[in-house]
Amino acid sequence: MIDMQGIAFVVDDDAAVLRSMARILHAADIETRTFQSPAEFLAQHDPQVPGCALLDVAMPSLDGLQLQMALIEHGIERPIIFVTGQGDVPTSVRAMKAGAVDFLTKPVKAELLIAAVRRAFERDVQSRHVRGLRCSIEARIAQLTPREREVLTHVVAGRLNKQIAGDLGTVEKTIKVHRGRMMAKMGVRTVADLVRVAAQAGIGPQL
Amino acid sequence: MSTSATLAPERWRLSQAAGDARLFLAVAVAYWVGAEIAFAIGTLSDRIFAPFWPPNVVLFYALLVTPRPRWWLCIAATLPAHILVELQVGMGAPGIIVAFVTNCLVAVANAALVLRYLRAPPWFNTLSKAALYVLITGLIVPSVCALGGAFVQIAGGGALSNYVQYWTQWYAANALGSLTLGSVAMLSLGERRATPRGGGREIETMFIALALIAVCAIAFELSTAPTAGVFVPTLLYLPLPLILWSALRRGASGACTAVLLVTVVLVWRTLNGPGLFGTRDPETNVFALQLFLLSLSAPMLLLGAAIDETRQTAHAARESEGRMSFAAASANIGLWEYNLETARFWATDHCRALFGIAPGTPLTRDVLLQSVSCEDRIAAADAMRTKILPDKATEHEFRVKLPGGGVRWIHAHTQVHHDDDGLPARISGVFTDVTARKDSEAEADLQRSELAHLTRVSVMGELSGALAHELNQPLTAILLNAQAARLMLQQDPPPMDEVRQIIDDIVDEDTRAGEVITRLRRLLTKGASKAEAVDLNEVVRSAMRLLRSELINRRMRLGLHLAHNLPPVHGDPVQLQQVFLNLMMNAMDAMNDTPGSQRNISVMTQLIEDRYVGLSVSDRGHGIAPEHATAVLQPFFSTKTHGLGLGLSICSTIVRAHRGELTVINNPDLGATAAVTFPAEPLEAAEAAQ
Repeated sequence: MIDMQGIAFVVDDDAAVLRSMARILHAADIETRTFQSPAEFLAQHDPQVPGCALLDVAMPSLDGLQLQMALIEHGIERPIIFVTGQGDVPTSVRAMKAGAVDFLTKPVKAELLIAAVRRAFERDVQSRHVRGLRCSIEARIAQLTPREREVLTHVVAGRLNKQIAGDLGTVEKTIKVHRGRMMAKMGVRTVADLVRVAAQAGIGPQL
Repeated sequence: MSTSATLAPERWRLSQAAGDARLFLAVAVAYWVGAEIAFAIGTLSDRIFAPFWPPNVVLFYALLVTPRPRWWLCIAATLPAHILVELQVGMGAPGIIVAFVTNCLVAVANAALVLRYLRAPPWFNTLSKAALYVLITGLIVPSVCALGGAFVQIAGGGALSNYVQYWTQWYAANALGSLTLGSVAMLSLGERRATPRGGGREIETMFIALALIAVCAIAFELSTAPTAGVFVPTLLYLPLPLILWSALRRGASGACTAVLLVTVVLVWRTLNGPGLFGTRDPETNVFALQLFLLSLSAPMLLLGAAIDETRQTAHAARESEGRMSFAAASANIGLWEYNLETARFWATDHCRALFGIAPGTPLTRDVLLQSVSCEDRIAAADAMRTKILPDKATEHEFRVKLPGGGVRWIHAHTQVHHDDDGLPARISGVFTDVTARKDSEAEADLQRSELAHLTRVSVMGELSGALAHELNQPLTAILLNAQAARLMLQQDPPPMDEVRQIIDDIVDEDTRAGEVITRLRRLLTKGASKAEAVDLNEVVRSAMRLLRSELINRRMRLGLHLAHNLPPVHGDPVQLQQVFLNLMMNAMDAMNDTPGSQRNISVMTQLIEDRYVGLSVSDRGHGIAPEHATAVLQPFFSTKTHGLGLGLSICSTIVRAHRGELTVINNPDLGATAAVTFPAEPLEAAEAAQ
């Protein structure tokens, strides 16, 4: 089975643990890169490369949670799996709230580790897809004129042309023209399609 | 004394006057009686001069018992008696005056000198006092006073050309009186023995007295035989064995009494019958006899005094030994001594009780050694040694098996004594029962180690999270490695090189986990303190393996400065590691509120002055508040919310038990430094221990 979904970035200060994790992931055909210190990982990290990060919680200089914060501050949305020797509840809650995919306690079984990595990869693919989609929708929305954006908002809200014209203080015919251009720029044919796309861009029906 | 002080003055004067009158009367009567006795024994051909003259001794005796301010009364009392007596024998007025003056002079001089040099009774208990007495009353005083006394006869009509003869007679009469009657009188002033004497002694005394009289009588009877002149020396010495017997049995008093008896008998017989010395002139006879008695009495008095002295010394030695043995037994101490010359072993009876030996068993060295428990017998034999090994006092401790089954600890102090030539003569020692001390020492040791163990366990509890992590790391590596190897072995062909590496890693990680557990177990084990050579650097490194995760979790940065070629210290590695762990925990706790970037701990080992090994832990925390500076080492003092307050107190106890010192002081800028110093173990000792 060839898995080209991404690379597992493993950070642990313990060389032996690092080596064993690399071995088991490699045996599961997961491409792995290992780092013995968080600083090394941060310096060499390329956000464009798909994959996930496996972080040890207790590390000298910078612990796993701080590394997670550093990534978030850099705007990097990398799925993170924590692997820790002391799985205490407050730490895991903090990690999960900050967006961690998983929180594994040592000693961790290979199946759990691999499954977690796979899940993280899927999450990465998904989020990358969503991010790509959102990028294109946002690009299309950017082409709209202010009046067309206003019409879009009203259409998504399910209002009729006549109502929109009344709201905006113009005639129905003008609204029809704006609506036609807006639908064309957004690359949709039906109102249903428009609502779905707008929802992905974060524009929902206004109540 | 108090009653006389409270008496009314007139009554006191009255009672004093009555006393004076009694004294006056007593002295006068005694003087007169003494003179009558002298006349009864006999006088020389002039009917005036007595060869044995007790009145002077009477006055001498009176002066001895009278306080000096009343001496004039005694002297005055003798005057009427003297005049009465001398008039009785028809002495002229000039003779009476000269005789009175010289008689008083000799008595006063004797009394004054005796009181000055012999001071107080007992008079003849030492040879030197007896010799002084002979010198004063037998030689100096009578010979000087005789210079005047010789004029008694000249005043009575004697020729001046006979001065030397008169001097000699006067001297001999007074010296003989002082040495015989005087010494007996003085002995009566000595202290009386409180213990009643057995009837046997009285009978013996009576027998000696009667035998002496009989022997003197026999000697005179034999001297009347025609050929007696040849045997005179033999006859004279017939009483000697009896006098010696008396002296040996009764000391000075026996000798003096016997000599007095012989003197009285011999003088009386000589003046009232045929003389011993063959000549028909009684004056020559008496003079010869006087010289003989003088030469007999002086050595006999000295012999008696010497015997008394020896007896007293022996008695004092016996008493002192008895007192010492009693004191030693009361203090639960046994004494022993080994005489190198006679090879004799001696021990006090209390040693039986100390060594649990049945009463009646003879106390020998072997018997004592046999009651010592086997493992300590060498130490005990060394303590009770009979050979000179090191020429100094030594101390040993050993156990004695008691018949009841118990064990007693004995401390032995042994010393070599030297004779006058500086050669070893005796080895002696003291046994002390130190069981109570040993028990309390063992008890204290047990309590200390139990408390140390408790605090160790509590430190381990604080470290439990970090320790779990220390174990989880190798376990994680082992589990993942093993599972990876299983996956690899399913491949065709399996990557054997990689599998081999994995197995190597598994072995390494397992060893690592094992080491952590060994270290933990060592710290958690409750065991008796050990004493071995310990490398403080190793203590630090070993503890660091347990502290690694804790330091990481608490974001502590560590600076290790371990000295090279650090000499070992003598002690218990586990307890020393406990001290270090405690100091590290304290340093970390002190920096709980310190910003992460400043949490530095510096650990340093060093050799100080080539004699001490130091280990210090410095933090950058809040330091010690001045008001807590003296309390930090006290038990149950803590500034931590979760602390028992035993950590530093236990550390301090452990360090002191290792002859070391623990100090905690604030750094000049920030934080505090805890430092322990131990005496470095000499390298030879360390090697020998290994």
